Amino acid sequence: MNDKSSPRKFSRRKFVQGVSTTIIGSYVLTPGVSKISEKLEAETKEIASGKKPLNLIVNKVRYELMISPETTLAEVLRNELKLTGTKLICNHGECGGCTVLLNGEAIYSCQMLALDAGEKEVTTIEGLLTGEELHPIQKAFVEHDGLQCGYCTPGQIIAAQAILLKNSQPSKEEILTGMSGNLCRCAAYPNILKSVLAAAGYLTEGTNR
Amino acid sequence: MIPELEIIKPFSLEEAVDFLNDHPAEARIIAGGTDIIPGLMQGSKRFTGIKYLVDLQQIDELKEIIADSENITIGALLTFSQMINNDSLKNNFPLLVKSASTVGSVQIRNRATVAGNFINNAPCADSVPPLLVYNAKIKLLGVNGNYEMPLSDFLIKPYFTRLKTGEIVTQIILPKPKKEFIGDFYKLGRRRGVAISRITLAALIQIEDNKLGEIRLASGAVSPIGMRFFDLEQKYSGSVISDKLLKNISSDLGKEILKVTGLRWSSEYKVPVTQQAMYLLLERICSAHKQVK
Repeated sequence: MNDKSSPRKFSRRKFVQGVSTTIIGSYVLTPGVSKISEKLEAETKEIASGKKPLNLIVNKVRYELMISPETTLAEVLRNELKLTGTKLICNHGECGGCTVLLNGEAIYSCQMLALDAGEKEVTTIEGLLTGEELHPIQKAFVEHDGLQCGYCTPGQIIAAQAILLKNSQPSKEEILTGMSGNLCRCAAYPNILKSVLAAAGYLTEGTNR
Repeated sequence: MIPELEIIKPFSLEEAVDFLNDHPAEARIIAGGTDIIPGLMQGSKRFTGIKYLVDLQQIDELKEIIADSENITIGALLTFSQMINNDSLKNNFPLLVKSASTVGSVQIRNRATVAGNFINNAPCADSVPPLLVYNAKIKLLGVNGNYEMPLSDFLIKPYFTRLKTGEIVTQIILPKPKKEFIGDFYKLGRRRGVAISRITLAALIQIEDNKLGEIRLASGAVSPIGMRFFDLEQKYSGSVISDKLLKNISSDLGKEILKVTGLRWSSEYKVPVTQQAMYLLLERICSAHKQVK
């Protein structure tokens, strides 16, 4: 029935895989008389390929996806949802380019399986925008030149957002500690620091108004 | 890309142990995933042949912190960030919390677990020297039930522990040190953030009337794994504190490390630096003690 199933125990997945192979098989053999809807066919194909359902809330939008269990959160964001603001640079949890917020905490999305993020709130750089309007942190980065090539910037801004969510007036030290997990190969660090300090100012002004 | 995997999410420890025992060669526990996911992504040999990742996140009892008069017991899923934000741990185990705040970066600390740090048992695991000087014990669950073991016995060699197939580390038991104990933790990395430690040292000493009571010393990164120096501790326990004594302890520590590692190309540099770092650490502890008085 299935060449891969021999050394493994019988599981529900294997069962469904087996059944779906049979269903799809019969469909192919008798195309004219098929009663299988296209949707069902698509579903069985997905289960057959080992995909799992994932309910992901990204930037307040709920997505219902079918993904391979080994897919990382960064891969889902970029490849499935096309939210390519989240960057994959080192892809092993050192550079910070893939930083996103998970329930308000900064994490490396390359270092986490997407299934683990199910039902949790994910915020990416795209989620900071209000329509076409930049977020105060984004504005601060533009105004204070907090970047050179810009590739690490989405990660930097999300890391800054994680700090500012907890502490609206962080000290220089607190910013440096909170952002030490985001590397910048252009070494724009002095201006990144200036930008985050400025953003903290903008945000406080905003709330005082 | 990570090779094809299945994720198993057991709701109880029993379920998890059963699954691990049914798939001894192919199943591996995942907690924070900060070692295993990059490892799988890079095709690390340590993680080949894994077909199932057993994710313990649904098991709430692994996230508990229980304090009684003698111990603080922490669940194996406690992350470094949770540890840093816990006042009771901060007050009773400052070296451990200090080391936790030097692990990786905020992003890593938000996911990585303390238990994962020593189960992975990298030479540079930052939390291991503090755990060792606090005489941490660990609680394990296997098919034959629960049992405890001192952490120093659990760690065998780089990336190897006494964790048997089908077993889970469920808790870390931290005995509260007596009030007279004072200590500090030192880490040297190539940079401040996301740095792999080159040297880590932890010292916890009991000072009574200018005399050393019990001393506990541990190193990491410069030794093959995090380790205690029991012979040295015994030798100097009870000595009168002087600058010369602190120098002798530090000098002996370097010699002990050299015995364990053998002569390496870096020894000529690393041994004196480690000795000096230990001397400064001890000096800092002694002067902090004077200030408290």
